[in-house]
Amino acid sequence: MTFEPKIISFLCNWCSYTGADLAGSSRLKYAHNIRIIRVMCSGRVEPTFVLEAFKKGADGILICGCHPGDCHYHEGNHKCQRRYTLLQKYIQQMGIDESRLKLEWISASEGKQFAELVNEFTESIQQLGPASYHKKLSFA
Amino acid sequence: MEDKRIGVYICWCGTNIAKTVDVEKVAEEMTGQEHVVISKSYQYMCSDPGQEMIVNDIKEHQLNRIVIAACSPRIHELTFRKMMEKAGLNPYLLEMANIREQVSWVHSDREFATQKAIELVKGAIQKVQFHEALDKRYVNVNEATLVVGGGIAGMTAALNIADAGKQVFLIEQSDLLGGQAAFIDSLFPNMEHASDMIRERIKQIEEHSKIEVFLNTKIEKISGFIGNFETTLNHGIDRKLEFGNIVLATGMKSFIPDDIEEYSYGKLPDVITSVEFEKMLLKGQIKKQNGSEPNHIAIIHCVGSRNKDYHEYCSRTCCSTALKYIHQISTLMPEASIYDIYADMRSFGKGCEELYTSAAKNNVVFLMFDQKNDLPVVRENKGKEAQLIIEFNEKLSGEDVRVPADMVILMVAMEAQEDAKSTSQIFGISVDKNKFYMEKHPKLDPVATTTDGIYVVGGCQSPKGVIDSISQARAATARILASIAQKTVEIEVTTATVTEEICCGCQTCISVCPYSAISFLEDKSVSHVNEVLCKGCGTCASACPTGAIHSKHFSDFQILSQIHGVLSKN
Repeated sequence: MTFEPKIISFLCNWCSYTGADLAGSSRLKYAHNIRIIRVMCSGRVEPTFVLEAFKKGADGILICGCHPGDCHYHEGNHKCQRRYTLLQKYIQQMGIDESRLKLEWISASEGKQFAELVNEFTESIQQLGPASYHKKLSFA
Repeated sequence: MEDKRIGVYICWCGTNIAKTVDVEKVAEEMTGQEHVVISKSYQYMCSDPGQEMIVNDIKEHQLNRIVIAACSPRIHELTFRKMMEKAGLNPYLLEMANIREQVSWVHSDREFATQKAIELVKGAIQKVQFHEALDKRYVNVNEATLVVGGGIAGMTAALNIADAGKQVFLIEQSDLLGGQAAFIDSLFPNMEHASDMIRERIKQIEEHSKIEVFLNTKIEKISGFIGNFETTLNHGIDRKLEFGNIVLATGMKSFIPDDIEEYSYGKLPDVITSVEFEKMLLKGQIKKQNGSEPNHIAIIHCVGSRNKDYHEYCSRTCCSTALKYIHQISTLMPEASIYDIYADMRSFGKGCEELYTSAAKNNVVFLMFDQKNDLPVVRENKGKEAQLIIEFNEKLSGEDVRVPADMVILMVAMEAQEDAKSTSQIFGISVDKNKFYMEKHPKLDPVATTTDGIYVVGGCQSPKGVIDSISQARAATARILASIAQKTVEIEVTTATVTEEICCGCQTCISVCPYSAISFLEDKSVSHVNEVLCKGCGTCASACPTGAIHSKHFSDFQILSQIHGVLSKN
């Protein structure tokens, strides 16, 4: 049986969520594993959200925000990027492969790019296999 | 704590969702979830009977939280929030799960799609439990409007608002009003003179007591939000303007075809663009480079349009403009032969099909070419009366043809302004893949943008002619005048607040806020959010080390619960 990873994605409302909607209204088909959670800005994505998702069994996490310079809130995406860089280091210490967490910029018009990104990311997680972090440790 | 009573509603969206997602199974699965009192599916939740059903359930079962799994919240969240109010519930006690754009329209496997829908709805159920009632917020609307761009769309918008007695600041980058239409001789389909219309409007604007025009001016920075924007113009002396709404009418520009080798534009004499031909018409003289009148005029359509190497879109106005040229050439030079070389004839719109039918009665031959595989090639035809020859395979007859011409008019595409991207960043709106400004919704909200209070009209939104530009300008100004008439406008309620008891006073939030909405209360040693300035991005909440900042509607609790719901095993 093929491994069907669980992927959680945090999308900012203005660019990336709209881009994902565009992929939908353009009827572009992509891998079904992704579960999207809407936030107003990628700057809202707290490290806790990412860690909690891994803890609850996510095999991969994809964060998308507006392209640099296009943020609806001026620079929330820059804040996100800085947190992401730290977070990638942090998850490695917890035994999670850094490539299980990805940050990409998707604009409101990039429905096609979003669909391609989801497929690429899903494939890369499939190759990595299941994340064992949530199994290795038990949480109260 | 109140007893949570959740109603879950799964929309079929006709067959849009139901074809790919087993909606009944999703509804059934939710019945056993904690706090879920009722779970149903229905053909169209957004329809009147759909909404009525939910409102009745809310009353009958004392529901106090609603989950609707349907299309994107970007489409119908507002509809259902209004429904909540009708039922006497706070509109923010609603959560939508997007099972159309994110599930049924992008996946084909029914089993996987159904499972995904189930998980998304579980996430929504978990999240809505922690939703809180939020009070609407209103701000006063400054009655003035900023209109950027002095072309036909911008001028129409300015006059419309000013005629209603409200102040307009009209900004134009160049040194004159009129825009592209000022360089057009006459307008399809009725051939009225563009200059008459433009001149009349410029005169009205210049004489209008409610319009202040700023020529040679560029906006460099905008601050504020709907109802209360401001900018400072740099004109030697700084001039601060305050306004409640913005109309962007920055126009489009024409494509320059020097990259299309087949057409030899710029290399062979008398191969000209439609823009250059229009200027000849304005002068009333159709002349070749050597000063003589052309006898064989060829018009080539879709130059840079509908071509994957240049612009994939249709530029909308060129076919009808070409037909207009046929009429004008026939009138000015009845003896000239005209060849109209088109890919598809798209003379849509009121009066334009008639333009095509009547053009065919002139001295014109229509020839079709294959835009995808075989562009016509313009070559030199030395020593012949017509010094150019156009070679291509005529699509309808299948024959290779050679068309002699002594003037070739290239109907060039319309494209986004060079600075469209940077302008969009100044105003905080999005551009589409062709760099045209993006509307909020192509059908439901075609002149608004995702930034409240900013509207896009005319060629800056997509290629369009005078008729459509004027329609859009009038549509946007109707929206603006309505908001001025209301005197106040509802603004974002999903702001951030500080729980003072757990704020440690580190002021990290202050350093990350893009709106300077957070200040430090020295006496209490805690941060404080000014909710009028806050736009609810939530960046401060993510940065707060103690969790003292609460991002309304997207709180830690709400998002973490949603993650739990989506990843839950049962």
